[in-house]
Order: sequence, then C-alpha cells, then structure tokens
Amino acid sequence: MTISAERPVDVVAGAPSLPVSKVSWTQRPGWVSQHLGTAVVMGFLGYVFGHWLGNYIASGYTYVQNTGQNNIADTLALAFMVLGWLLGIGALNYPLLKIVGREPAEEEIPIKHWSRFFRFSLDHKVVGLQYVVGVLLFMFTGGLLAMAVRAELLSPTFHLFSADTYIKIVSEHGTVMMMMATSIIVGPLGNYFVPLMIGARRMAFPRIEAFSFWIFTAGYMVIFAALPYGGFPTGWTGYAPLQTQAGPGMIGYLLGFAVIGTGMIASGFNIGVTIINYRAPGLTWNRIPVFVWSILATASLLTLATPVLFVGGFLGLLDKTVQTAFYVNEHGGSAYLWQNLFWFFGHPEVYIMALPGFGIAGELLPVFTRKPLFAYKVSAAGMMGVALLSFFVWQHHLFQSGINPDMRPLFMLTTELISIPTGFIYLVGLGTMYKAKIRFRLPMMFVMALFFNFLIGGVTGVFLSDVPVNVTVHGGFFVLAHFHYTIMGGLLFAFMAGLYYWLPKMTGRMMNEKIGKWHFWTMFIFFNLTFFPMFFIGLLGQPRRVFEYASNLQGLNDFASISAFLLGVSFIIFAFNLAWSMWINPVKAPANPWDSLGLEWQTASPVPHDNFERIPVIMTDPYRYGEPDAPAFADLGVAVGSNSHEA
Amino acid sequence: MFWTAWAILSVVGDIVVWVFVGPHTPPGALTETAKSDQFDFNVLLMFAVPVLIGVWMWLAFAIRFWNVKRGGPDPVGGEAARNNKVAQVSWIGITSFVVLFLAGFGTWALVVDHGSGGGEGPNPVWSPAGAVKAETAAATGNSSWKVGEPLVVQVIAQQWRFTYRYPQFGGFESQQINIPAHTTIVFNVTSLDVIHDFWAYQLGVKADANPGINNVAYTETKGTGSFVVRCAELCGIWHGGMFNYGKVLSQSAFQNWASSTEAANAQNTKFLPAFSWTYYPSANGAGGGYYPAGNLTPYSPSETYGSATPAS
Amino acid sequence: MSELTGSRISPEEREYELRAQIGSIWSGGRLFIGIYTFAIASLVFTYFYLRSTNSASLWRTPGETAPVAMGYAIWICTLLVAFLANYGRRRLRAGFAQDFVVAGWTATGVGLLGLFFQIYILTQVPFYPGANGYSSMFIGYSIFNIGTLVVMTYWIETTTVRAMRVRRELGGDKPELSKHEMAQLFRADVASMVYFQGFIAVAATLFLAMFYWM
Repeated sequence: MTISAERPVDVVAGAPSLPVSKVSWTQRPGWVSQHLGTAVVMGFLGYVFGHWLGNYIASGYTYVQNTGQNNIADTLALAFMVLGWLLGIGALNYPLLKIVGREPAEEEIPIKHWSRFFRFSLDHKVVGLQYVVGVLLFMFTGGLLAMAVRAELLSPTFHLFSADTYIKIVSEHGTVMMMMATSIIVGPLGNYFVPLMIGARRMAFPRIEAFSFWIFTAGYMVIFAALPYGGFPTGWTGYAPLQTQAGPGMIGYLLGFAVIGTGMIASGFNIGVTIINYRAPGLTWNRIPVFVWSILATASLLTLATPVLFVGGFLGLLDKTVQTAFYVNEHGGSAYLWQNLFWFFGHPEVYIMALPGFGIAGELLPVFTRKPLFAYKVSAAGMMGVALLSFFVWQHHLFQSGINPDMRPLFMLTTELISIPTGFIYLVGLGTMYKAKIRFRLPMMFVMALFFNFLIGGVTGVFLSDVPVNVTVHGGFFVLAHFHYTIMGGLLFAFMAGLYYWLPKMTGRMMNEKIGKWHFWTMFIFFNLTFFPMFFIGLLGQPRRVFEYASNLQGLNDFASISAFLLGVSFIIFAFNLAWSMWINPVKAPANPWDSLGLEWQTASPVPHDNFERIPVIMTDPYRYGEPDAPAFADLGVAVGSNSHEA
Repeated sequence: MFWTAWAILSVVGDIVVWVFVGPHTPPGALTETAKSDQFDFNVLLMFAVPVLIGVWMWLAFAIRFWNVKRGGPDPVGGEAARNNKVAQVSWIGITSFVVLFLAGFGTWALVVDHGSGGGEGPNPVWSPAGAVKAETAAATGNSSWKVGEPLVVQVIAQQWRFTYRYPQFGGFESQQINIPAHTTIVFNVTSLDVIHDFWAYQLGVKADANPGINNVAYTETKGTGSFVVRCAELCGIWHGGMFNYGKVLSQSAFQNWASSTEAANAQNTKFLPAFSWTYYPSANGAGGGYYPAGNLTPYSPSETYGSATPAS
Repeated sequence: MSELTGSRISPEEREYELRAQIGSIWSGGRLFIGIYTFAIASLVFTYFYLRSTNSASLWRTPGETAPVAMGYAIWICTLLVAFLANYGRRRLRAGFAQDFVVAGWTATGVGLLGLFFQIYILTQVPFYPGANGYSSMFIGYSIFNIGTLVVMTYWIETTTVRAMRVRRELGGDKPELSKHEMAQLFRADVASMVYFQGFIAVAATLFLAMFYWM
C-alpha cells in the first residue's frame, strides 16, 4: 500500500466536527476537569492513603519496632502518590474504561486553550513542550545541587555542609541528573519532531506517550521525596550493602528509578514503534533523517535495558520492605548482584544519553554547512553499532571490584571496540565540514562545541577502559570529568543546539541571537574550565564524592568551583534568554529560519493538529544540499497557499 | 598541507609529551606496578595526542577556511560530497587497528611484567612468582616473613577506616601500614560492612573491599617512600575522611617495625578473631536487628514480622 | 481547517494510517514481549547468580521447598490462560466469535484464580523471605508474578470486552471478521495478546522448573 504522489483531490470527512459540549469532561477548560490541580490533590490523597495503609499493615512488625522505621508505609505512601497523580491527571481513564468496554472510540480532540499544557494531552506537540519544561525543571534543580557540591569543595577542610548533608546532595545531584539526561532529548525533541520528520500525523501510542511524561514528573517528586525522608548516601549507583544499610531515603531512590524507568520504557516503546510503522510513503530506511536513526537506537536501548533497572530496583525495594535478602551476603544474597544488574542497565543508559546528541549533530550539520551529510550509512551503522555493543560492556565499571577478573580482557576489548562506531560519528561530522560553507549560527556553534568536548570525553574513555590505567583512574575525579565531558559536553550541548534550532518551530518565536551568543560562550568556556581541571584533580589522586581532600589540590578545586559558579551563571543567561525571547520580547520566527530541507520545516507553522494536511510522500533522500536541481525531499500534496492539490 | 602540519605537530606533540609529561604521569614510579601502569598511561597518551591534534586542527580549519564569510562558490552536493570510499575505508581501518592494538596492549600490560595492581578477586588468574605460596602459607597463621619473600598484608576496610593485619607476624592488626622495599606485596582486601576500595595511589594498587570476599592485588616495591591510601568507593557519610598514609621502609627497618609492633600488640592480638581471609560480623550488628536472628525453623510469620497489630 | 474538525483524510490516507496502526499493534506486541524478556531474564540471572554464588552457603537450606500444590496451581492457571487465548483465537478465525468470548471470560476467571493463588501462596511460604537466596528469589518472583498475572488477565479481559463491543457496534454477520477498521484492529490486538500469553506460559514453566525441579 503506497500513496502515490498524484493523489485524488476528493476528500472524505475525517473526524466529525465536535462542539465543545461533546468533548469529554476531562479535557474541557475550567476547574471541573482533569488537570495538574486534580493530579496534585489526588497525589496528596494517595500519599496519605498509602501511608495509612502501610502503617495499618506493618506497624506491629518486629523489624519496624526494632528499627523504628516503617519502610512499608514509606514505600506504599510514595507508590500510591504516583498512582494518585496518574489518576488525577487522567492517565488511567482509558485503561480503566477499557475493562468495561467503554473507552472512547476516537482519540479525544484537544481543546485549543492554554490549559492543554497542564493536561494529559494526546498531541505529541503538546507533550514535547511539556517535556521541555519538565527536563528544564530537572536540569535546574540538579544544577543547583551541583553548585552546592562545588561550594563545599572550595576548601579541603572548612565545611559548609555536614558530611551527612554533603553526601546526600551529591547523591541527589547524580540521580536527578541521570534521570533527566535519559529523557532530555528523547522527551522534548524526540516526541515533538520524530513524527514531523517521518511524515506522520500522530504517534503510534499517544496515550503511552503522555503517560511517559506524567510518570516522569511523578518520578521527580519521588526522587525529591528522598530528601525529607533523610536522603540517601549511595550516590547515583546505589551500591548494595550501603543501600541495605541506608535509611528510608533509599526508598525514594529505588522507587524513583522504578518509576522513571517505567516512563523510559513507555517513551522508548512508543517512539520506536512509531518510527517503525508510521513512516510516510517513500521514507525507506535509506532515507530517514539521521536524528530519527539516533532516536530509534535510543528507543531500542530504552525499552530493552530499562527493564533490568526496574527489576534491580524492585528487588532492592523488597529487601527494604518485606525483608528478602537479594543483596545481603550474610543471608544468601549477593552485593555483586546489584552491581551486575545496575550496570547491565547502566552502560546502555550512558548511550541512551549520548546517541541523541550524535543524532542532533548529524541532523544540524548539513543545514549549516550547506552540504549533504557525509557517509550517511556509516552514521546509521555507527549508532546501531553503539546500541548493540553497549549491552556487552557493563563490567568495565567493575574492573577493580574483584568480580570476574578473568573477564577483564574481554570487557576491555568490547569497551574499546565501541569507540569504533563512536568514531564513525566523527568521520561523518568532519567529512561533512570538509570544504563546506559553514554558517556559524547558534545551533552550529553548539554542534562544533559538542565535537570539541565529546572528543575529550571519548579519548579519556579509552584511558578508562584500559585496565592498567583504570587502576589509577577508577573511582576518582578523572571518571567524573570523563562522564561530564560526554554527558554534559556532548548531550547537553546537543540539547542546547536542538533547542536553539527547533524552538522557532515549536513556539513560532526566535531565540535572541545576541543573548544566545553570550550563553554559548560562557557555557562553552566555563564548562571546559570547570571540568578540564578535574582530569588533573583525579590524576593527582582525589576520589569521587569526597568532602575532604588533600590540601595541595585546593588550587585546582577552587578553580573548578569558581568556573562552575560561572557555568551556573551561563545557565541563568540561558533562562533569561528563554524568558526574553519567548515571553518578554518575542520575535516572530520565519517559516524556515535556517533554510533547512528537513520535513519538519515544510509543514505549516504553527504545526496544525494533524501535522500535515496530507500525508507527505517522500521523493528522495534527506540531505540534498548543494544540488540546485534536486527534487524536494517530500511532496506535501498541497500547493502553497492553497488547500487542494491541482497538479 | 593539513596532513603535513598534522604529522609534524603530532610528532612534536608526542615527543614533548613523552619527554616532559611522561615521567610525571600518575601513579608515579614508587613500585614496579606503578611504573608499569604509568608506562601504559603514557602509551595511551601517545595515541591520544595525535587524535586530539588532528580533530582540533580539523575543527580549526573548518572555522577558519570553510566558513561562509570566506565567500567562494557554494559547496557542490551529490555523490562526491556524500561518500568517499578512500576516506571511509581508511578511517574505519585505522580506528579499528588502533583500538584492537590498544586492547591487545592493555591485555598484555595486565599480566606481563609486573601486573596492573588491580583487584583480581579471590582466585587471581595472574600472580607474581612465589605470591601464591606465601599466601597459602600465611593462611595457616604460622608462617613468618623472611627478607626477599613476598609479604602478605590483609587490608580490612570498615566504615570508615582501614586496618591492616600481618599474618606473617602473628596476625597483629594495625592502623598503620608499612611495607618493605624491593619486595613483592600481596594485598588481601576485604571489608566488614559495605563496599570500600583500597586505593594506594603511589603503589599503583586499587582493589574493592567487599564484605565476605577476599580481593587480591599485587605490587612489587622498589625504593623507599611514602604513599597515601584513600577509599575510592562511596561508603557512606565519612567516605571523604577515610584515608591514611603508609611508608615503604627499607627491609631491615620494616622487619624491626613489624617485630616490635607484633610484640607491642600481642596483648590485643589474642582477642582478635583467628586470621581468616574474610570475616562475618553479625548482619544484625549495625543494622539494628533488621533480619531475624538465626535461621527461623520452623518458620512462623509472626516471629519474623511480629504480630500484625501493634502491641497494646 | 479548524482545530476541532480534524483534518480531511482521503480514503487512501485512511487506509495507510490503518496499516500503520495495525503494524504498531503487531510490532508493539512483539516489543512488549521484548521488554518482558529482559525483565524476566534479569530475574533468571538473579536466580542463577545467587545459586552459583551461594553466599555464606545459604543458597537453599536442604529440603526447603515453596508450597508445591499451590505453585503448580498457579502454573496450570497460567498455561490455561495461554491455551484458552490461543483456542479462542483459532475459533475466532474459524468464525466462531462466541467461542472466543466464552474462552476469554473463562480465561479471565482462570487468571483471577491464579492471581488469588499467587497472593495466597505468599501467606503460606514455610520460610522467611530473607532466610536464604532461594527464599528471597521465591518471594521476589511471586510478587513480580502478581504483576504479570494482572497484565495477562487485563489483556485477555479487555480483548473479550472489545470482541463483544465489536459485535454490538458493527452488527451484522460475523462483524469481527469484517474489513471494518475496528474489526481489523481488534484482530491485530488478539494476535499480539495470544503471543504474549504464550510467552508468559513458557516463562512460567521455566520458573516452575527453577523453583521445584532444580
């Protein structure tokens, strides 16, 4: 079944016109419907109910009375809070109605009213924008925690925080940032632009998509609930005997990862299935944009690796509540088990964070170099290769742990092999730049910065994968600098590139270029000044997550701290730019400000509810820059300025 | 021109790095192990420098010359701009070769020469000559150390300090770590509670301390000197404060120190548990009675969980 | 084109979107099995990891076994649900939709029964959860399996209800086998559901073997 380019002009009616009164009450504007407010109320009620239930069940248990700590009540309270939140926002309406066969046959049509951003929306564009706000919330709170960490490290001996508070801040920072980073591109940009780039009018499972966002926000509450519960001292890795030993804050961590993990599975599931099934006619695997390739690779990792994290957290929660002993050596469990489960998820997760960044770089390069993407197939192969190999490297986190020492050469080999497909991305990037006519607009500057930063992150990754060198660098600031270079220097710069590039399409407003340049240069310079010294701090012997360090390292640490504060300032500049360009002084964006050939820029602006008036037919491959006679990427079936196609 | 410049800069960069940076890269050269790790690090640096220089130069070229401000004709698209078989094949070939070489080299460095100093688990696949014999003898508790033979040191980590037992000196336990020069050292690292990591930076030794597991690491000392031991695995609140300093003494000085400490500690040593590779403190000791004590048989839920309703 | 009216869709496009939707149910169903495979694989890994590690010689106290009869009952319930789903689908394809509905409701009942057993078994285990690796594993799997049984039962129940709804809303002779969109989507859903149930039956057998035979 294909749709030919020559389509009949006769058009049948789509969904019938619905008056507002016919729209389900849950979606109507006004207080009497389901929105963020009801979610908050239901979440609160769920919390109270769960806490009561847990106390009812378990307050007489021996361990509860011995330890004075009712983990069951704490767990159930948070679990019911999530449930109440989802009920309140309306995420469970459809699945519950389905039991009695009364689910709506047609998708609910969103009301064009500002309040739709506070609702369970089935429009992937609304979800995309919701995600923008959601990930920025994660990012800014995580960033504040980072500022606190760096403030404490200003002095080797003088303490701003108690050791207890400090380790909880570090742990919270790591966990929040990791949770944010798994969704930072797939959530906002993936959800918004994948359907537009593949010429689809909708997502395959819009309810699962919206669910993924709202459970993501619930995860935010759960992970921050760890703080009032007393925090957790384990870092984002949550290694086991410490996890077993930790107080109830650990529940926030374990349940938080399970909740966020559910959202990750849901969003990966939906996007992956959409890419496979909803590509427009003519959009063969040789023609899909490289950003879609990267999201597909990411989605496959999200759906397949995250269940392992889910089970790992689930088993940890059982240890905490019903007294199983999965991670307790003395009772027949194994602390190593957590390390294996966690890193079996944890390493693919690293690529969940890296791949979308590569995708954005590949997507933006042709636009700003005005050249076709060099070695398109190599880049697709690189991303899929990274995704596949990432399942076979997890034990390189455990080189010094004493687990399977005889496997070290194997994991060293697989880890170093993964730098081959990663290198493909550089081949593609550098090849595309070759003899180009680069326009250094903001998104391109961020892409260039990504190539600069990720190179350092990637090369130091090879150092880490080498077991003899790993003896020196494992568990130190070298690792810390390395993964900040890959995640922040790669992913976050790519996210910024993507935002500057695509926000005009999402909101119809241009980001201010001048403030943006300030943002870019402060972010780029202070990012490097913050994290580059950390390689040396690590090489000179400072372990991660310490609040006291050798006094001879104070100079470097202070340098990094002050740079980090200035890096924080650059994010304030970004926030100001966002506010300035979106609300205070909006400048209307042209239809295609970057002269891109990409499909997402060809549809109307703002994007209509169904994305494309007619399903586009893809005529050629996506990056035909520098070919004046090249056919258009897609036949949109609509003559410009007219509603019918009369060819 | 680009490639010539790159080649010259790479060679110069490599030489500069090897000559001026190389001798100072971590973890130094206090032990043979550290020296071999340092050599490994420097070899990787030799590969990293040309890569960094090449890509950065390319980016600089792009910014300087392939810029819209330079004017000139628009780039021409089409097949020539999309693919270049020579570039692709040689890129993939060269990266694959480098990566495979480095993996092979890393494996070689792991076992040959003086090993890597990393934790090798309870059953090491590689060990220096004589180490296993010394370890087996030490486990009996009645062997003693002679100059020139491997020294066995047990590292016991707990929240939040390291202590060290010397099985060849009557199994005394000390908060001080001293080791002899020009000797093979066998570290047996274990933990009493959570996972710690014994990181003797200058020795080039790092091994996780796992409860209930004996993680073995080797080093071979050269001259005398001092080193710092830090915990490199997050172990709770005072992780940052878990460090101490150790010394590599001359063999006779070490012999004196160990013998005198053994004698001085004899009163305490006899109250210690018998020397063993691992120790099992009660799981309920620190946790406040989380798990029911002993193995409840026959099992009754009420004994595990207590009564379902609070005692009135 | 108003936001409220939705866009105009030509018949060709409608057909195209229907194909995409059916494809999504097909690949979504398989991908869901993939997700479940990884979750179950990590439980299986946990089992064999603890078993081979045998920390503190406490993998399993000799002679200790989870309740046998009830374990088999749960297993039989799972197999029955899978069998009934498969049987219902065959009858559906042969044009006997009523059989599908009957099989579906029976399977729902069986699934609920299995769910009851799965919860009840937790009150009957003869060991405390943290006694050893085996006991932890059994408790962990049992609680996980509550979720699995809920998903199984939910899926077959909703397809059954959907079958009734298809017949009610479309009317006519054998509406569920018609070319109508709703019917096509329904059949795709049933196919995915049957595969999932079969997969879970295999997994349940694996766990039965792990807990009672090995």
